[in-house]
Amino acid sequence: MLRRYLGGVHPVSYKASTRRKPIVPLERPPEQVVIPLTMCTGGGSAAVVKPGDQVTVGQVIAKPLDMGVYVHASVSGRVRAIEPRPHPWGGKWDAIVIDNDGLDTPCPSLPGPMDWARMDRMEALQRICKAGITSMGGGASPTHLRIAKSVGRVDTLIVSAAECEPYLTADHRLLLEKGDQVLQSVQMLAQLLRADRAVLVVAGDKLNAVEFLERRLRRKRRSVELCTIQTRYPLGMEKQLVRTVTGREVPPGRSAIDVKCAVFNVATAYTVRQALLEGTPLTHRAVTVSGGAVARPRNLWVPIGTPLRCLLESSGGLREEPAVILTGGPMTGTVQTDLDAPVVKNTNALLCLTREERGSAGEPETVCVRCGHCVASCPMNLNPAFVYRAVRMGETERLPQLHLEDCMECGCCTYSCPSHIPLEDLVRQAKKLCQEGGNQG
Amino acid sequence: MNGPVIQHTSPQIAQPAGISSTMRDVIVALIPALAMAVFLFGPRVLAVTAVSVGTCVLAEYGYCRLRGLPNPTGDLSACVTGLLLAMSLPATAPYWAPVLGGLFAIVVVKQLYGGLGRNFLNPALAGRTLLCTFPGLMTHWVDAFHYPSLLGGADAVSAATPMASLHAGELPDLTLGQLLLGQHGGAMGGVPAFMLILGGVYLVGRRVISPRIPLAFVGTVALLTLLFPRGDGGALAWMTAQLLGGGLMLGAIFMASDYTTTPVTPLGQTLFGVGCGALTVLLRYFGSYPDGVGWAILTMNCCVWLLDRSAIPRRFGLGRFARARAWVGELKESAAAIRFVPPKLKFLARAGEGTMPGEGYLDELRGKVRQWGAVAGVFLVVCGAVFGVHRLTDYAAVRAETEAQEALLAQVMPQATMRTETPYRAAGALSITAGYNDSGLVGYCVEVQANGFGGLLTAVVGVNTNGEVTGVAVTSHRETEGVGTDAMTEEYLSQYVGKSGTIRSSGNNAVDAVSGATATSQAVTACVNQALAIVANLDTEGSVSYVDGEV
Repeated sequence: MLRRYLGGVHPVSYKASTRRKPIVPLERPPEQVVIPLTMCTGGGSAAVVKPGDQVTVGQVIAKPLDMGVYVHASVSGRVRAIEPRPHPWGGKWDAIVIDNDGLDTPCPSLPGPMDWARMDRMEALQRICKAGITSMGGGASPTHLRIAKSVGRVDTLIVSAAECEPYLTADHRLLLEKGDQVLQSVQMLAQLLRADRAVLVVAGDKLNAVEFLERRLRRKRRSVELCTIQTRYPLGMEKQLVRTVTGREVPPGRSAIDVKCAVFNVATAYTVRQALLEGTPLTHRAVTVSGGAVARPRNLWVPIGTPLRCLLESSGGLREEPAVILTGGPMTGTVQTDLDAPVVKNTNALLCLTREERGSAGEPETVCVRCGHCVASCPMNLNPAFVYRAVRMGETERLPQLHLEDCMECGCCTYSCPSHIPLEDLVRQAKKLCQEGGNQG
Repeated sequence: MNGPVIQHTSPQIAQPAGISSTMRDVIVALIPALAMAVFLFGPRVLAVTAVSVGTCVLAEYGYCRLRGLPNPTGDLSACVTGLLLAMSLPATAPYWAPVLGGLFAIVVVKQLYGGLGRNFLNPALAGRTLLCTFPGLMTHWVDAFHYPSLLGGADAVSAATPMASLHAGELPDLTLGQLLLGQHGGAMGGVPAFMLILGGVYLVGRRVISPRIPLAFVGTVALLTLLFPRGDGGALAWMTAQLLGGGLMLGAIFMASDYTTTPVTPLGQTLFGVGCGALTVLLRYFGSYPDGVGWAILTMNCCVWLLDRSAIPRRFGLGRFARARAWVGELKESAAAIRFVPPKLKFLARAGEGTMPGEGYLDELRGKVRQWGAVAGVFLVVCGAVFGVHRLTDYAAVRAETEAQEALLAQVMPQATMRTETPYRAAGALSITAGYNDSGLVGYCVEVQANGFGGLLTAVVGVNTNGEVTGVAVTSHRETEGVGTDAMTEEYLSQYVGKSGTIRSSGNNAVDAVSGATATSQAVTACVNQALAIVANLDTEGSVSYVDGEV
């Protein structure tokens, strides 16, 4: 197992509660789905249906504006309204509300499987674009743009099934249940990008998946490299993955493409394969519902737009009052206050954490004792202790020397602080101060 | 962009440790060493520890109560300070020592600088170092298994510690097992090295401390002592004794790894450890104290700000030598930017508003004088205090001088038990000391000089009341080593004993000159004659002349 970048933390993984639970559909399909018009960081989309229209599963209901993605109906039924609804990323934003008729009629105009042997790159890109795929590991950037940017410019394709955050097991289950398809998708992406090397990165806590994939690889003779890495958060971050797999370091302010690498999440790769070989757009995704407050933690196969409340109901509801509910992993996720917010394309988990599970998070802050844990745990070699000092002492002129723009907000510093200082918040605050200072100067 | 943006929130989980649980771990790690110390030095260890911990906690509570601050004793840091302070003291320490040290550590070193996280010196070490300035307190170590009594304590036998013999350049007479388990004299917590290492392993395993500082510290000491061994037991034995004999383990594992007073960056921590190790070896080899761990750590504590700023981790994504290259580039730029700028001279006469020309400048001068005067005043006061303390506490030099004098006089007049300097003066005598025993005056010891072969020769001659020589000793000379010094051997000088009158070089009442050292022999004889004459003519009845005799 490899270990090549400095820093990182080892949170308790809590994956045992869901790692053996197969991905199952919802017990009861949602009566209504709420599909936000904006589900990717590139930009929004414009609705192409009106209230009262009948829609079918996979039908395009919104077309992209500037850098957005296509949005598809995930259930069949009638459009009830297009109105502001709670968004899991925060706030209320326009969403298409569809009443589910429970029939799941597939859309008749879906394209058939693609002729992969011919390998028409333009057609493939077109299909990926039409399928409305965003990166599904939490980042939510449009995948077709990323692929288009990387074609021919990379020599290494890295598909990450690291899933280094606690609780998350959806990718692990995907590897176990759809191993063949995942390997095929990695190979297809490598061909599409003209990469010489295709690496599937798996964290060391999924050794059963590694063994299974190795067996499949031997049988199918695919040219995919399997790379097992010692589990450590934040292993799945792009720069850390590139460093670990290839030994290259992404220069500050640049992205993985600049060192000839392309990084994709395994769920994204699988969805790309589905779009190309099956012709199905991104309408469903796997979500881990877990946490100590959930009665029956499990992995669910959920239509995009399902309210979070439905997911909880399918998992047996709440066992006790949770201390916090959030979507995404506990380190980088977003706190949810409204359970009516829907599942969107980057929602990989719904977690209801109890007081004990949160550890000392949220305890009152005490003084910095200069233990240096934050510096030792920062994977980007930053110095949060100095940021704390500069912000609290008002020494803003020191901030530009601390390279805050490198921070990718993984939260290792906050996690490791024994004084419970919200260092990540302070770094964010300092970034803002820096920008203001830059604007004034 | 008009749309939702992903609201990242801070991590919703955190490692369960806090300051108090960290401190609790340190206390747990110290318990084996404390238990071993109780086994080695008896119950007094517990009493001293209790006094020390109690003082520290009460001092912290009292200070914060007086200042109206929230009560900080819950974080247990005062307990750790008290525990470490007690463990660095000898088991025979009087009870006022931990009280004074604890008060100094908590109030002056920690709280006056703003409390936990803001002090720049390790409080426990600073308290211990204050106690080091009391003579005798930190130099009398009790041997293991000599339990000092619970109340008295000061009467215990003091033993030679391994550090004392190492300081003298000899290997202590101890086996490896004895060194590891601490069966020798020393600070009560610094002695059981094995238990301290056990505690260190616990702390590293619990991720309370990173092993960087202890490893760098111990490693540097090991390397340097291995490279430059002394004594005749081999380099490895010397290194082992250096590592386990003194307070190195206590210092490296528990004091040098203190969070607040060490650098935060990994590289800085390593450099800190290396610096501590190098200083420790230097102080042990060339310092006047046997052990230098405490001084080394305190010195490096003062360099932490420098280490923090110079050892910033390499920025992710930059090459390995990017920093050096950037630095060289900057240097080149600054070298290119150097220009000769003619100095701007200030002239005395400068007219201010509504003032006489030059008045402003005078004011400025006055301000400067006041400023520098204050600095000079503080400097003088500090110098005076240091000098005074030095004079008051510099017993060792005075005692050594007196003892040498006593030994000399005992040699020239063994019959006398008590000697006093007399006020008598006589021509040619540098000093005249009277010797007494139980029955009264025995005689006089006279310090006289005569010209030898190479220059002046000073000798002390004892003459009893009968006018007979009781002994001769040469105190300083410039004779040739190996030739002239033949006439200063005890054997030769003993020939003078019992002689009286005037001694000649031949015939009656003569002392044979040493062949080859005739001039020196004659000089000694001249000294003796002079002394005999002085004593014979000593005017003890008449008025005493206090005028120094010309030599």
